Amino acid sequence: MFFTLTPTSGQPLYLQLMQQIRHAAETGALEDGDQLPGIRTLAEELVVSPNTVVKAYSELEHEGLLELRQGSGAFVTLKRRTRSRTDSVQAARRRIRDLVERLREDGLQDEEIRRAFEAELLYAAEAAKR
Amino acid sequence: MDVIQTHLLTKSYRDEEAVRALNLSVGQGRITAFIGRNGAGKSTTIKMLLGMVRPTAGEATILGTPISDAERSCEVRRRVAYVAENKPLYRYMTVGQMIRFARSFYGDWSAEIARKLLREYQLPADRKIKSLSKGMRTKLALLLALARRPELLILDEPSEGLDPVGIEHLLQTLVARSAEGVSVFFSSHQIAEVERIADHVCILDKGCLLVDTSLDDLRQSYRRIDLAFSSAPIGEEFRIAGVERIQTDGRHLRVFASRNADIVVERARDLNAISVEVSPVGLRDVFLETVKEN
Amino acid sequence: MLWYKAWLETRSRFLASLCGITAIVVLLVHHLEDVMRPVGLSGARYFVALRRSTGDIFNSGQHLLVAIWMLAVILLGMGGLIRERAAGTSSLTLALPVSRRRLVWVQIAVGVLESIGLGVIPWIAILITLGVGGFPVSFSQAVFYLALLISGGLIYFALAMLTSSLIEGEYTAPAVAFGVAILSAMVCGTVNAIRPYADLWRFMGGDNHFSDGASLLRGPFPWLGAFAALSVAALLLLTSVAVIQRREF
Repeated sequence: MFFTLTPTSGQPLYLQLMQQIRHAAETGALEDGDQLPGIRTLAEELVVSPNTVVKAYSELEHEGLLELRQGSGAFVTLKRRTRSRTDSVQAARRRIRDLVERLREDGLQDEEIRRAFEAELLYAAEAAKR
Repeated sequence: MDVIQTHLLTKSYRDEEAVRALNLSVGQGRITAFIGRNGAGKSTTIKMLLGMVRPTAGEATILGTPISDAERSCEVRRRVAYVAENKPLYRYMTVGQMIRFARSFYGDWSAEIARKLLREYQLPADRKIKSLSKGMRTKLALLLALARRPELLILDEPSEGLDPVGIEHLLQTLVARSAEGVSVFFSSHQIAEVERIADHVCILDKGCLLVDTSLDDLRQSYRRIDLAFSSAPIGEEFRIAGVERIQTDGRHLRVFASRNADIVVERARDLNAISVEVSPVGLRDVFLETVKEN
Repeated sequence: MLWYKAWLETRSRFLASLCGITAIVVLLVHHLEDVMRPVGLSGARYFVALRRSTGDIFNSGQHLLVAIWMLAVILLGMGGLIRERAAGTSSLTLALPVSRRRLVWVQIAVGVLESIGLGVIPWIAILITLGVGGFPVSFSQAVFYLALLISGGLIYFALAMLTSSLIEGEYTAPAVAFGVAILSAMVCGTVNAIRPYADLWRFMGGDNHFSDGASLLRGPFPWLGAFAALSVAALLLLTSVAVIQRREF
């Protein structure tokens, strides 16, 4: 499978990679038992530090999405819980798609929409802390 | 264990201080980038680490060996590969002679890697180095460093002189080496390259270490916050921990923060900001803003 | 492969000097053969005169050789790490896992061997030329001359090594070395107080031992003088090693 990492997007590369793997698992692009490339192979392919791949794979293993087998690589393990989560995520995606479409109709540019989401998430995070 | 560690490392020349009280740590098995303007002190620091220049004050260790210990430093150089900015080679030798020369000093030399790179870089073994193009000389200099299988690779502007394909190949090679456990310490003006492969970045300016952070933290914490108010705001209200630079323009405020962007946003809302826009900051902007403010 | 590198760096200078010196010296000897061949003599008297001519030719050959050999070994002593710094390769050489001391000593060793070669080979050529010309040759005399040349003259090589460790310019360094060599030769040759001890020209030329009667170098080899000269050379070389060790690159 193919990944795209954006070094300038303000999000750590390992998080981007994790998201893309999760997204692939949620949408069915990656199925239970699929093997992901080895750390060195993926790092060379994406031309990113192997530590990025290591972090992403470890975190996903911690979350239960991947199983790292010594010597063989990383394998996708989709649990039942993740499968039902896929539905909620897909529903949320649909809602966001509608919202974004409406915002675009209102004349907002994509960059403005992104910044608004970013500020809102930051504020929400801060409010949640308090 | 850090492969490079400096403590208050200083180098003063008669008319200027090239390196000031530098506390640098380069982690083992990581790719660390060293960026700074020309004359910021990067090359001087590297030369001190390799015993070519003596520090005025302070100390440093490389692969655990203090740089002041001349005898042990000699042995450490067997495990460190350094390619200087000008990609030095002996012009009177041929490519083949240069390789044989380098090989004779290092027990860990891998003939296989040398052969592979020779083929990939398309370097003719019989050609005299003085008749090679700049790009080929750069590739040869890199080949000599990589075939040695060092524990630490120190590269000063490694991609200079390479075409885009060569650069891509170099980055892939560095990433592959890192996966094998080699620690990479490189200085570069190519911010884009650094952003792609570096785990950690150190920004040096006028001999001082201004930024020393992992790229993950940098991406997560550095933010540019653009604010607009109904009446001219007091910029200094936003001078909190983590705020590096505040620019005012009438009712608009631009805050550049290395962390606590969320607190800036909260304060903006408390002060009834009309608009709040938060954007991520790439390494280039972090570098420019940091250096400008210095 | 440090020796190989030092050889490659000095190879052209060495070979050019070798050819030049040998050619000039052989030309002189050949010319002198014609000039000094005894005429109007026969039998034993002819042979004695011939042997005397050989001695004179040896003497003239040595004086010429000393002059150009001195210049050549000064050239051989050029280069080194300071020159590499100017050329940009010091970062490569100093990053090698060898001590600076070793780098300099290898350069010195190669230079000394080449200097000896620049003396030995022209002398072999002299012997061959004279032999072919029918002149009787004395190996012991040749060795005496050679020993005087080398033991007295290595000071010039050492001087060049020291100069090139202090001065960076590609042309400045040899100019200074030549200047110092010539100046000191003049001073030592004229100041009466030190002349007997320090006149290297006389020493190397064999003037201290040359007996006019038989045109031969007589007397025991001046071991003390040779030792003194070599000690001075060694001192200059040790100084150049110390200078390089302290230098910043």
